[in-house]
Amino acid sequence: MSLDYSEDMVQFTREPQLVELDDLIAKPVETNPSKKYFLALTFTASLLLIGIICTGITFYFGIGTWGNNQTIGWAFGITNFVFWVGIAHAGTLISAILFLLRQKWRNAISRFAEAMTIFAVMCAGLFPILHMGRPWLGGYLMPYPNSMNLWPNFISPLVWDVFAVSTYFIVSLLFWYLGLIPDFATLRDRSKDKIKKIVYSFFSLGWRHSNRHWRHYEKAYMIFAGLATPLVLSVHTVVSFDFAATIVPGWHSTIFPPYFVAGAVFSGFAMVVIALLVVRKVFDMENIITLNHLEKMNKIILLTGSMVGYAYLMEAFISWYSGVHTEQYSAINRAFGDYAWAYWTMVSCNAFIPQFFWFRKIRRSIPAMFIIVILVLVGMWFERFVIIVSSLSRDFLPSSWTYFTPSLIDLGILIGSFGLFFTLVLVFTRTLPVIAMSEIKGIVKGAQPTHNGGAN
Amino acid sequence: MAENFGNKNKELELKRDPNYWQGFKEIHDDPKFSKAVNKNENGLSRRKFLALIGTSAALAGVGCSDYRDKGEIMPYNKMPEEISLGKPTFYASTCNLCPNFCGILIRTREGRPIKVDGNPDHPISKGKICARGQASILDLYDPDRLQNPLRKSKEGKFLKTTWESADTDLIKALNNAEKEIAVITHRINSPTTKKLLDEFINKYPNTKIYFYELFDNSIRNKAWKKSYGTDSYPFIKWNEAKVIVALEADFLGNDGNKIENARLFAEGRDVDNIKNFSRLYSVEANMSLTGTNSDYRLKVKPELQYDFVMCLLNELSRKANIKMPISVSYFSMKSFMKDNGLKEKYVEYLVNDLINNQGKAIVYAGRSLPEETHIAVNLLNDVLGNTKLYNTISSDFSTTELNTLDDFNKLVKEMNNGNVSVVIHFDSNPVYHFPENMGYKEALKKVETVVALTESENESSAVSDLVFAINHQFESWGDIKTRTGFYSLQQPVISPIFNTRQKEEVILQWTKGLESKFEGNLYHKYLMDNWRVNIYPTLNSKIDFKRFWYGALNEGVVLTNEKIKSFGKFKNTSLSGLTISPVKSNGYTVIVKESYALGDGRQANNGWLQELPNPLAQITWDNYASLSKTTAKNLGVKNNDKISVDTGSGKKVYPIFIQPGAANNTITIDSGYGRTTVGQVGEGTGFSINGLMSNKPLYTPWIYTNAKVDREKGTYVIAADQEHNLFEKSPAENIFGKRGILFEGTVNEYKKNSHFLKEDHDKRHHASPEIYPPQKELYQGVKWGMAIDLNKCIGCGDCIVACNAENNVPIVGKEQIEKGRRMHWLRIDKYYSGSYDEPVISTQPMLCQHCDDAPCENVCPVAATTHSEDGLNQMVYNRCVGTRYCANNCPYKVRRFNYFDFRDSFKDGYQTEQIFDLVYNPEVTVRSRGVMEKCTFCIQRIMEEKADAIRDDREIIGSNVNTACQDACSTSAIKFGDINAKDSEFVKYRNHELGYYVLEEVNTKPNVTYIAKLRNTHTEES
Repeated sequence: MSLDYSEDMVQFTREPQLVELDDLIAKPVETNPSKKYFLALTFTASLLLIGIICTGITFYFGIGTWGNNQTIGWAFGITNFVFWVGIAHAGTLISAILFLLRQKWRNAISRFAEAMTIFAVMCAGLFPILHMGRPWLGGYLMPYPNSMNLWPNFISPLVWDVFAVSTYFIVSLLFWYLGLIPDFATLRDRSKDKIKKIVYSFFSLGWRHSNRHWRHYEKAYMIFAGLATPLVLSVHTVVSFDFAATIVPGWHSTIFPPYFVAGAVFSGFAMVVIALLVVRKVFDMENIITLNHLEKMNKIILLTGSMVGYAYLMEAFISWYSGVHTEQYSAINRAFGDYAWAYWTMVSCNAFIPQFFWFRKIRRSIPAMFIIVILVLVGMWFERFVIIVSSLSRDFLPSSWTYFTPSLIDLGILIGSFGLFFTLVLVFTRTLPVIAMSEIKGIVKGAQPTHNGGAN
Repeated sequence: MAENFGNKNKELELKRDPNYWQGFKEIHDDPKFSKAVNKNENGLSRRKFLALIGTSAALAGVGCSDYRDKGEIMPYNKMPEEISLGKPTFYASTCNLCPNFCGILIRTREGRPIKVDGNPDHPISKGKICARGQASILDLYDPDRLQNPLRKSKEGKFLKTTWESADTDLIKALNNAEKEIAVITHRINSPTTKKLLDEFINKYPNTKIYFYELFDNSIRNKAWKKSYGTDSYPFIKWNEAKVIVALEADFLGNDGNKIENARLFAEGRDVDNIKNFSRLYSVEANMSLTGTNSDYRLKVKPELQYDFVMCLLNELSRKANIKMPISVSYFSMKSFMKDNGLKEKYVEYLVNDLINNQGKAIVYAGRSLPEETHIAVNLLNDVLGNTKLYNTISSDFSTTELNTLDDFNKLVKEMNNGNVSVVIHFDSNPVYHFPENMGYKEALKKVETVVALTESENESSAVSDLVFAINHQFESWGDIKTRTGFYSLQQPVISPIFNTRQKEEVILQWTKGLESKFEGNLYHKYLMDNWRVNIYPTLNSKIDFKRFWYGALNEGVVLTNEKIKSFGKFKNTSLSGLTISPVKSNGYTVIVKESYALGDGRQANNGWLQELPNPLAQITWDNYASLSKTTAKNLGVKNNDKISVDTGSGKKVYPIFIQPGAANNTITIDSGYGRTTVGQVGEGTGFSINGLMSNKPLYTPWIYTNAKVDREKGTYVIAADQEHNLFEKSPAENIFGKRGILFEGTVNEYKKNSHFLKEDHDKRHHASPEIYPPQKELYQGVKWGMAIDLNKCIGCGDCIVACNAENNVPIVGKEQIEKGRRMHWLRIDKYYSGSYDEPVISTQPMLCQHCDDAPCENVCPVAATTHSEDGLNQMVYNRCVGTRYCANNCPYKVRRFNYFDFRDSFKDGYQTEQIFDLVYNPEVTVRSRGVMEKCTFCIQRIMEEKADAIRDDREIIGSNVNTACQDACSTSAIKFGDINAKDSEFVKYRNHELGYYVLEEVNTKPNVTYIAKLRNTHTEES
């Protein structure tokens, strides 16, 4: 395993010292947060509260408080689910796939991206339960031995979904935790607070930075990365089966698995960029999370955005090529029917706007990328909305065609999911190192044995 | 205590008490301790504390759990002979809701009526009954029904009173009445009630009885009397007609006698008797149910119908040299067609058809048309020899004659002059029904005593001093004679639920006077006596009366041998007053029509009817002004906008609906809505029409020409079951054929090649390769299936109400319909094709297709919807978690999700009132919130047959099971049975050469077969 670390991209704008790094990264955890932090937390917690209230109303009165109707059985709930699962993908891609590909630049952002994965999956996981008519019976979806010998229906994509998402959550959580162990130890060592010390000690599992520990750790990390890698592809593939395995025109499509995975990475990276832009500014980590990092991410956004754009074209082509009237109609209806506004929002935000990233200047301009990635997120949310709602609203029998109008509760729950996500992110930045200390140290000057003793 | 213990020990040691102690209690007899133990000095003993804790925990547990008081379950002390628990009992009776008086069969379970069907022994309705009759079961259990007689207090509030006190007051008023006593009632067809009223008149000689109906056949009958001399227009043998021309006549809908007309019409549209397939021309202003079923449709304003008939006569005399007893030469069809934009070809077809089918064609004018049009039509039928199609075996029979508008105008005048002492609303609602400008409501104020006999509060009871709460029809006795040839009987199937009395009983009590005491079976006895003394002897029955009577009640009908008067020859004298030159009409014409669902509005508080989609526009919960696209454009309005209509008595505002196929400048509005004093269900639904109607109509009471129509500000949302903008998009796209939703042909095409549909189908349909091997072992025994003959289905929607009643389908309310959350398991899809002005309408009942390869089944994550071995797609409510995935994947969109607990969410829990529980079919689960449901093919009826088969040790017989919709279908368009019973009647339909499956391309393998509609046009193309 000969690796050339020197020919990688420039990692730091100002090369930090090893000691400095610990201080810098541990600072948000060890110091009291500013007023701004609490303002932000109040804001996100308020959003979360809106979501909690709307969820309560939904549980109390029923799904009727949403805008869904007999024709459009799924709308905001499943749209949000797919959206959040998609967001989650970037984290695993960065932490697992890029790790296996020896993309050392990932070290600065992997921890944060992984945390976002966990939080996004948590947000996503809520929706399948929320959208059920009788959520208190959600356990029926789990296979458990019972006297009736009654099992879930294993040919239903929704059951696969349950397995895929829960597996994904567990693996991501463990992978994340594994990476955190050396950092927990560092924090434990630095901490003077008694309680903190106990907590960090507990979670660091007796880590002593010994050579043996490192050896085991790196092997384990590699194995987990290997385990997580197929999940990046499989989870969203399975989610796309929810649609692809049905007969609804506009859903029943073989292109869905790759299309969904590309879209997931696309939206996930956009979300990571947004969060990083904020974090590096707030926590003075501009030297560690550099423009180079952001530019790389933007390149991936450009790539996946173009893939998604290709999928849009392909979908339209295949629906025409199929010769099936309902398919053709559904494609035309998407682009020119009642939901044309949503469709064109989606196409412009996902396929056209990221094309600006062909320009280096825009790739490296923080305001420009901020706007673009937000639009990407909007576009990706609408992508799921268009797929789900516009297809259902005009399916086989014209007698049942309807239009979906979201209710306030629908919007409240969507807002609440963002509230939950960002509240978790904020809490995370205060409790755990947002940058993997151990990993970043590995790429600092002098951290690796070199022939010239570390001098450039 | 430890201290005490020590002390005691010491004491013992010291004293050496010779008494032996037996326990700690004795030696340590600490007074404090024993006090605490025995007297609860601290307020709460340990035991009590534990008991309290236990009780409160138990209470909390019980109170917070889902425990519901199941009520007392009492066994029958003495088992009634006719009841076997778990088995329904049927009683024959008669429906009293409209002047048709159909025979009904009421299904009761453990003494509780739960469903109404037609009585198969009834000679007219023959086992069928309309939506209103079906829904009357809901009226019986309506929580808004009057539960006691009421008396109006000085403050104008209605307070509960007793029957004795109310009766006494009224009898006093009747005795003191120096001036007229007016009894206002609907048409009465009961010989015994008639006798009763006659006796009432004898007792109180000032009495005058007034009969009215909001819609009636009086004009048609009057014209007939002029033309032929007999009293009433004969019934038509629609089944024998080859050509039917309906002039502004919705004989399949609201022109009266719907059940019989529909049945006979459908008999003449039988694909298996293709030679005698009739052709229907509809000449009408607005789209009607008959219009949707017509082969040719011509748009003519109602006031021009007369000209049209005269033009027809002219054409006939010109083309076929038929001599006319009247000069018709001024009426030129050519200029008529030009003026009204009629398709020349269609008119040519019509004229030729009339000439070629003399004696086998019938021209039928609607009851809202004026007398001269009817006379002209009578002449037309006469010269063509179509009188053969008049029914000469049975004729209308009326015990009473309806009063004219003039009679009521006079009454109002007398009331205003103070010449009326008492007004009795005998189960009628004239305040709502009479034209507003008659001033009836105001005139009532001049009357000393106004009383109402009514089931639930209405506009007339609101202005009455005493309100007598009367029985529902299922709690009442009665006899009815609507036609010659038979009587039908009405018997109660449940004792009065509330403190109510039968309306006849009330009158009888009044007739008996103050001194007589009320007995419960008063009218029952009276009815029986009347039959014993007056009717039974005329029947020449060989059996004794008692046996005869029980037999008659069992059958529900008593057949008699009566000959009817033959109508003789056409009297040319009737032609003398006819207009002899054409008229022009440019203004707006307003037509008021009887609502399909609500009729004249007496059932406005019935949620099933309110939610029954209008068969033309799928609109629920409201009426509306229906007008053509051009008219809407001229007025500058679009759907949900409002217009004001003034027929001469002031502006009235209505929301509009643009109806494809409506004649320009005509506005049609349905009756029955806009009730102001009504229960919570009917509250705020629609708009009344009595402001449009006039007490002195210039044309006819239901048609107003030269009305002023204007655009109004504001909008009003009308909730449709099927999306409106469907009509607004270009209907030319014909996605129905391409997708395989509708296949239609023509009679000629079918005659030429009866396999045309199958051949066409084979060309179009590529057999898709199967992934799975054929499962031959499946469906070896019975396999249930349904066939729907679209040639017979007229799209009325009666089946929907039957389904609601059978399957405990909740009412969801207008708001939820607006949101697209209808719960009906069965719906009637309407598709418009052709141009906007001349649309062709296709009707398709849509319900769960019970597909062999059901797409809903494999997506359900919890296996809550599965397939049975007899081919049913089943829904397991207990297992359903409500992901709605199945509904998304159902191409027919027939799955219904309980978005709320609709019973609770509709009108603040109206459906959760205790009495409402009685309406539910005990064989069908009441579904909870968050559960998916759908058509089950009436599995409870299948299970009943299964149980019977097991008990009788025989095979299941498919034809023994009838679904609720099938029972209700007046045209027998729905067939149900066992697909594997190779030589059954049903299989003939299942494998019919015109049979097809909807969306066959999707390869779901449905078990519902549709028999393609054939249009009887002159060409081979449809």
